[in-house]
Amino acid sequence: MALKALDIYKLLPKKNCKECGDPTCLTFAMKLAGGKTDVDLCPYMDDAAKAVLSATTRPPIRLVKLGIGERSFAVGEEFVLYRHEKTFYHPPGIMFKIADTSTPEEILAVTVRVRDESFTRVGTELRFNGIAIENTSGSPEHFARAIETIEKTADLPLVLMASDPLALSAALTFCGTYRPLIHAATPENYKEFCAIAKQHGCPLVIKGKSVIELAQLSKDCTTEGVQDLIMDLSPESFQEFIVRSTTIRQLAITREAPDLGYPVFLDASVMEMQDAAITLGISKYASVIISTPLPSATAQAALTLRQNIYTDPQKPIQMNPGLYRVGNPGKNAPVLMTVNFSLTFFTLQGYLESTRLPCFMLIVDTEGLSVLTAVAAGKLSEVLVRDSIKKFDVENEVSHRKLIIPGYASPLSGRIEEATGWKVMVGPRDAAEIGEFLHEEWKQ
Amino acid sequence: MAYDLHFDWSSSITEVMLGATKAEGGTRRLSYRIGGGTTLPFLETTQGSSAPLIAFEICDNPQYWSPIVRNYCGDLVNDCGEWAKTADSGYGSDMIRLYLTSTRQRNFSDIPSVGKTVESVLSNTSLPLIIEGSNEPKIDSEVFLKCGEAGQGERLLLGTAEAGRYRSIAAAAMAYNHSVIAQSPIDVNLAKQLNILLKEIGLSRDHIIIDPYTGSLGYGFEYSYSAMERIRFSALKGDTDLAMPIICSAVDTLTVKEIREAGPAIQDDIAVQWEFTTGLAAAIAGSEIICVRHPKTIPLLRKAFASLKSGKNTIGGQ
Ligand code: B12
Ligand code: SF4
Repeated sequence: MALKALDIYKLLPKKNCKECGDPTCLTFAMKLAGGKTDVDLCPYMDDAAKAVLSATTRPPIRLVKLGIGERSFAVGEEFVLYRHEKTFYHPPGIMFKIADTSTPEEILAVTVRVRDESFTRVGTELRFNGIAIENTSGSPEHFARAIETIEKTADLPLVLMASDPLALSAALTFCGTYRPLIHAATPENYKEFCAIAKQHGCPLVIKGKSVIELAQLSKDCTTEGVQDLIMDLSPESFQEFIVRSTTIRQLAITREAPDLGYPVFLDASVMEMQDAAITLGISKYASVIISTPLPSATAQAALTLRQNIYTDPQKPIQMNPGLYRVGNPGKNAPVLMTVNFSLTFFTLQGYLESTRLPCFMLIVDTEGLSVLTAVAAGKLSEVLVRDSIKKFDVENEVSHRKLIIPGYASPLSGRIEEATGWKVMVGPRDAAEIGEFLHEEWKQ
Repeated sequence: MAYDLHFDWSSSITEVMLGATKAEGGTRRLSYRIGGGTTLPFLETTQGSSAPLIAFEICDNPQYWSPIVRNYCGDLVNDCGEWAKTADSGYGSDMIRLYLTSTRQRNFSDIPSVGKTVESVLSNTSLPLIIEGSNEPKIDSEVFLKCGEAGQGERLLLGTAEAGRYRSIAAAAMAYNHSVIAQSPIDVNLAKQLNILLKEIGLSRDHIIIDPYTGSLGYGFEYSYSAMERIRFSALKGDTDLAMPIICSAVDTLTVKEIREAGPAIQDDIAVQWEFTTGLAAAIAGSEIICVRHPKTIPLLRKAFASLKSGKNTIGGQ
């Protein structure tokens, strides 16, 4: 049951000492009510109040941070079962797995790839998030050496996959202060693993053969003092994953089973179809996904799906309306009108850049709708185009009066001409043909 | 404590029959009963519910088809009977979806050829069929009637009804006892409205499949995914006007920028991966018929569905 800010306030020390980082106890209470701060930040709270508050105010799924620095990422803190109810906030980290028996060259190659590879979609750089290194050799030295190779090359979040505490300790001498994720504590070894995780302040994966076992294990590990937990459901089939993962998400967000309020880990590389497992993990609540280094065909699809599922469908990614330049356009350069949906903007911009003809892009405010969608919804009108030309001072930027509109906006061409006094040229429907079109039709 | 999922669903998805065997008055070697789900996809704990169906899409005028598929399938694309036969015995699909792209030619009027094409596909495969009729309101009525007639007794699935044009197709379906695909642009309320329109002119609920429109991966899939989830959710909550099985056809997938511009060495792989990823995610969101255009996507989906229907669905002891 969530508490209201005022109920929370009643339980606070009311010293208004600001030590929690908030100006007053009341503002701290308001933040707690929204799950936006942590009870532990107030040093003066009595234990009874703390017990009540931490159970009810922390986010239903704990936020767990992996790595440090620029490439670190946080997972958890999700609130819904369906993305349309709100949105999903923290996209899963996808990390490439390598065995410590690989050659240093192989390890280096994967590290460099994860460090450098990025794939830009809709103006956003999509990347893989880190490296999982497995102690396949069984030797602590091998494991440590592999970690050393990675650490010398990149500051990437790591997952240390080992069952031998000695191997972990050896590896942690190289990366212990960089918050690697340790995989995995089990009912048999959790005390030792917790001690190591606690010593280095690392998040810890707990691995259980059932939901019951995981709930018990999380209780045991928090008792040992490790709070940053991630749960490996060790599924044997996709169905087992989807059932367990959905169960855990539901029981966590309703706060019926606070012991399950942790992000989920999925090792896709041990599932029979890795690609499918990744798709499943992205769609159904996995927060850390491990896979072998993916071929580029799979890599793009996986990153695009992740971007899609973690985009809020209620708010399309938008550009600020305005006059944008491609290259260094002069007074005679063409002006191409389009909508402020990011996908449309970046698609058109990409093709315009490859034509190498400097030009202007006039971006009008269709509230983030694509061309066809905006036309169908009546969000793209001659009045909008006329006002945008005025507002962004296009008349002073160019000496001609010609406007190229998207092919799909052709039903509006007459009305735009009338409203603006500009000559309208209807461009192709597909932006891929814009180069050819400009080449043939744009003669100044 | 028992760690169980608990939803307070009150309804189930309506069952729809596709195809008809000899015993059922048709000539198909098998027929499918889809729908019947009582919870979210793949959470069903009882055995026996079937995996989503995979439909392979073909057409009778390949000029309108992706060059990737044309290259891969070779000469088959020029003979839709042979193509259908290969989709059945070679590619291993569950259904064939025939697009009568020939009707898209300007001033198309050769209606008898439509009947012949449908008959040739019916005789070349004994799988249940989906037929996509005309794209042009002026010839809709004749084309759909011809399809309906040619497939009489076979319980075809006819496509595609939209809010502005659903009468001809519904009439053909009702006359010959076929089912209809009802497509609306990625919106739960529009899907519902169209189903109500179809109901009002007499098409029964168990003859409708919802197509919420699948935007391709990276080009609208984020909306389609949620539209599918919401339709399933509303259906289970008791909205009978949305309680029909869903079909997913990501028709634009093979033409998105990432695939069109991929190098020849990798283009097939990328196309398959994007189609596969979209189809699998759509199935997770609630689609029960997944349409594909690349033959290599079929075995991948098949294998993934098997694992999603493994029956190993315990949450792991109490
Ligand atoms: C995703 C989507 C949505 C999303 C919105 C996405 C968004 N931000 O716009 C949602 C679900 C919200 C939506 C809603 C609707 N949609 Co919608 N939607 C789509 C879908 C699947 C993809 C659109 C997209 O993202 N395209 C990609 C972008 C990049 O395309 P684009 O902007 O057109 O840009 C291309 C070209 O136009 C060109 N181009 C762009 N700018 C320029 C400029 C110049 C100068 C040139 C030369 C070229 C050029 O280059 C780009 C690449 O080639 C399309 C189907 C489709 N395949 O197009 C339907 C579609 C556009 N939607 C449709 C409809 C009817 C609607 C609704 C009106 C339905 C309704 N009543 O609710 C609403 C309207 C919106 C509203 N009122 O809120 C119909 C339109 C029918 C028509 N032909 O008019 C479509 C075609 C679906 C269909 N087949 O029925 N939709
Ligand atoms: S630290 Fe505690 S007592 Fe001090 S202002 Fe914050 S909530 Fe109040």
